[in-house]
Amino acid sequence: MRPLTEPETKTLFEKLATYCGQGISNLITDPTNAADRHVFRVQNNRVYYVRESLANLATSIKRDALLSLGTCLGKFTKTGKFRLHITALSVIAPHARYKVWVKSNGEMPFLYGGNVLKAHVGRWSEDCPEHQGVVVLSMNDTPLGFGVSARSTAEARRLDPTGIVTFRQADIGEYLREEDTLFTT
Amino acid sequence: MAPIRSSKGAGKGGAKGGSKGGPKGGSSKAKGKSGGRSSKPTGSAPEGISKRKQKSMSLAKPGGAQKTKSKPLEQKKKKRVYTEKELDIPKLNGIIPAGVAKPKGQKIGKKFVDDPASMMAIMSMVNAEKEGHIESKIMRARQLEEVREAKKKEQEARSDEKKQQFEDKKQSMRKARKNRNSEPAKSETDENKKTPEAKFKPKKRVSFG
Repeated sequence: MRPLTEPETKTLFEKLATYCGQGISNLITDPTNAADRHVFRVQNNRVYYVRESLANLATSIKRDALLSLGTCLGKFTKTGKFRLHITALSVIAPHARYKVWVKSNGEMPFLYGGNVLKAHVGRWSEDCPEHQGVVVLSMNDTPLGFGVSARSTAEARRLDPTGIVTFRQADIGEYLREEDTLFTT
Repeated sequence: MAPIRSSKGAGKGGAKGGSKGGPKGGSSKAKGKSGGRSSKPTGSAPEGISKRKQKSMSLAKPGGAQKTKSKPLEQKKKKRVYTEKELDIPKLNGIIPAGVAKPKGQKIGKKFVDDPASMMAIMSMVNAEKEGHIESKIMRARQLEEVREAKKKEQEARSDEKKQQFEDKKQSMRKARKNRNSEPAKSETDENKKTPEAKFKPKKRVSFG
């Protein structure tokens, strides 16, 4: 377990910034809890968002034996890119910049791994450009997952009901579907 | 063969001695010595030594003498060449490029970013970049939307115009038909359409009649 290097930090923040707005800076310096800040740590190519005191305690466990700690945000691929996992949803959802609210009839299709169709959209954020990260929520504001907008809001208005509005990237159904591989290293 | 060789060797020695002794008067002393030496081994050499060895031995001595002369020269040359390390010249005025110079005591390997200040700096940089991207995307989308709107309006205007023209044509046709049915005599008297109607009406009269 080690802190991130400079290029790694940049890659991670670039990915987080596709989903989050300015509120992302709260991840580094939490104004509500200044005493114990959170830090990013890498363990086996996976990035964890951990309380600093916990990270310091974890140094007493040898690398091979340490499986996981804190909240896993995602992992670095072999090519050096960063891939967000569904476990990062709790971190990015409160700071999301663009959101799509899905009606109850569209929740299950999304949680089974489908894209968000226009017919299932209850409402969406205005002025969302194309191919921008969006967080998918249910109508009662429960985060269901995240994805990438297929069309800009203006174009999506003209779309037919069966047209795809958001491409799915991760959904909370993965906790069941990917149960075996989600937390293995 | 043997007599020829011996004669050759004798001839060589004789010729050399003669030729060298001839032009260079100053070096005649040394040459004479060497000649004497070369003659010595031949005289004192045991019979068991082959001719080839004899020859090599005879050549070795003057050659050896020459080598002993050349060797110290080379050694001297080597001694004269010093490397910069050997000289121990202090590097005071040497120019070191900025990129090459590495300050001592710096960390080797990965440089971690763990303090909030540097992380915030990276984040603000990334955020600014992303903002720029999003802004440009939105601007482009708006521009495209405007272009699309303009095109749509133009197309609508064109279709309206066409419809209007069609309606006008229909109206004129209807009028023309009405005029023809109701008052054929009046139309005949029209001054504007005198020539074309004059041609048609006699035909109609003929057909109806």
